[in-house]
Formats: sequence, structure tokens, C-alpha cells
Amino acid sequence: MTAVFDILLAIGILGCAAAALAVRERTAAIAAFMVAGLLVALSWVRLGAPDVALAEAAIGAGLTGALLLRSARRLGPVRPRSVGWPVLGSAAILSAALAATLAWAVASSRGISSYQSLVAERLSESGVTNPVTAVLLNFRAWDTLLEIAVLSVALMLVASVGTARIRFDRLGEMMLPCARIVVPLLVLVSGHLLWLGSSDPGGAFQAGAVLAGAGLVLVMSGHVPTAGRAVDIARVVGLSGLAIFVIAASAAQVLTGGFLQFPPDVAKAWIIAIEAGLTLSIAATLVLLFLGLSRHSRS
Amino acid sequence: MTNLLMVPGLVLIAAGLWFLLIAALGLWQFPDLMSRLHALTKADTAGVALVALGATCLTASLSDAVVLLLCVLLVAVSGATTGHLIARARLKDTET
Repeated sequence: MTAVFDILLAIGILGCAAAALAVRERTAAIAAFMVAGLLVALSWVRLGAPDVALAEAAIGAGLTGALLLRSARRLGPVRPRSVGWPVLGSAAILSAALAATLAWAVASSRGISSYQSLVAERLSESGVTNPVTAVLLNFRAWDTLLEIAVLSVALMLVASVGTARIRFDRLGEMMLPCARIVVPLLVLVSGHLLWLGSSDPGGAFQAGAVLAGAGLVLVMSGHVPTAGRAVDIARVVGLSGLAIFVIAASAAQVLTGGFLQFPPDVAKAWIIAIEAGLTLSIAATLVLLFLGLSRHSRS
Repeated sequence: MTNLLMVPGLVLIAAGLWFLLIAALGLWQFPDLMSRLHALTKADTAGVALVALGATCLTASLSDAVVLLLCVLLVAVSGATTGHLIARARLKDTET
């Protein structure tokens, strides 16, 4: 029974991906992309990786879709143009080579890597019981620190490039009642995901993406200023994640003598504190990336 | 207790799936946007609510029931709102 489901899921993902590439209308292609993202999230659940599934659903399908729709609006309709055979041919050869490499990599791998047992062995030292959070925020915290740095660089780039102000149409009388119910719920879910991250699937990225969704609902309902002081505050919050992470890393260096090596008996408090800061910062960054406000476009 | 609620739970889930199937059929077969929205928003919300109600009967755990209730609430609110927004945008387009 589950095999039938898995096969249908795989066919669905491929179908949506094909539709996203083949459809000539931008909005329809983005819709197909978002559905493909949700199906991929479902396939991560089937593969037993709910953390990745949450991130894929919130960021891969939800927020990327929103960013693409926003860009599509500015790009306008697709202009039909013919693609020559050389381009098609080289694309086909490259795709076949990639598929062959992946197939070879899967075929030649010797089962599950030793990583899982290594993490399980030392999970008790990390301060949390969710192995994914233990890796992201403790064992390999350096990688996560650099990811946050990348996000901050993206935020600064968008702010300095200076895209035009986004103008929302008035969305009518349903939007405010909807926001009144949805925004508090999203804040609740975000806090829940953040807290859950130490023991179950969840964490700063998922919580931040959900909180960013709440922010976008507020912005679209027209009850949050998208200029002036509010944007400055959001920008500071967005960059604060990297600052908090670096301060925590340096403090750990002073306290324990190891960069990003948290004091073992209070490691959970450190991780939760860093993740709380990251959640707010990721949410602010994603909202600002969507709005694309620059200093100069404030008029 | 669980056995007692097993049958109504399964019946509710089956009914919900039927509603969802009808919604999908309506989306596929109805001729224009407004009637498609009509099929999708109403039948979809009812279907999800019935499935969630059935699942609540099957779990018999209060915290799961609260989560399912919140899911139904979110689907109902977002379905109604997006349906309204899409219909509104279409009406605006046809006016101008």
C-alpha cells in the first residue's frame, strides 16, 4: 500500500516539475513549482526526515514561491522565443551526465554513513535530544554560523541594490479578519517549532519561516508600515542573528577555550537562546527579502 | 472506548474523502473560474473538517484533537479568504 503511495508521489513530483518547466505562463509555472515543493516535502516525510520536510515546505515551497510570484509580477509575461537544437542538445547531455553521476553515487555508496552512529554516541553532550539540532547548533555550529552569514549578505545586497517599492492592491474586507486569526496562530506555531527543536523536528529555520509568513500577512493586510522606522528596525533585527551567533561563539571561546564549544551542562540554554535570536532574525530577513526595500526607495 | 469510536471515525474520514473527491472533480470539470472556486472552497473545507473530525475520533488524545482543530480552522480561514481574493481579482479584471 505504501509502495503505491510512494510511486504516485514520485510520479506527482516529476509531473509537477515537468509542468513548471513546460508551462508558458509564469504564474502557472510557479504554482506547479510550489506544488512540486510540497510533494517533495511529503517525500522527505516518507524518507524519515521530518526536519528537512518542514524546511522544504516552509522555505522551499512557501517563501520561495512568494518571492518568485513577486518577481514574476515585475518581469511581465513570457515572450515566446525559439530555443535552438544546440542548446537543447547540450542541456540534454548535461542532464543525462548529472543523472548518471547521481545513479553511480547512489549505487556505489555502502549504505548509511557512520555519521548517524557518531552523533548518537555523543548526543548526550550536546544539551539537546534532537540529533538534527545537535548537529546544526552544536557539533557543526560553524556551518550554521556561516549559513546565517550568507543570509545576512543576501539581505545587505538586496538593501543596497535598491529594488522598487512593492505596491499592494487593496485586498478587501476579508484580509483583516483573516490576519486576526492567522497571525496569532502563526506566532504560536513558530514559538512551538522553536521550542520543539531541542527534542523533536523543528528549529530556528522552520520557526523563522513561519514567523516570516505571519509578517507577510500583516504587511499585505496593510496594517504595517513598509517604510521609515519600521524597516530600519526590521533590518537591525535581520542582522542581529549573525551578531548574536558571533557574540555567543566568542563568549564560548572565553568560557571554555573552544570556539562554539558551549559549556556542556548549560548547552541547552545556549542553543535555545541562539535559536530564539536566529528565529527573529531569519523572519525579519525573509520579510525584507520579499519586500526588497532599499534606503533610497523610501520616499 | 477506542473501538467504540473506530467505526464513526472511519465513516467520517470516508465522508471527508468523498467531499474532497467531489471538490477535485468540480475543479476539473466546471467551466469557469467562479464555479470552480465555488466547488473548491466549500467542498474542500467540509472535506478537511470531516477528515480531521474522523481522525480525532481515532486518536482519543486531547492534544492531537486541539492540533487537528487548529488545522481545520486554518484551512477554513485561508480557503475562504483566498477564494474571496481570487474572485475579487477576477471581478476587478472584468470591470476594467
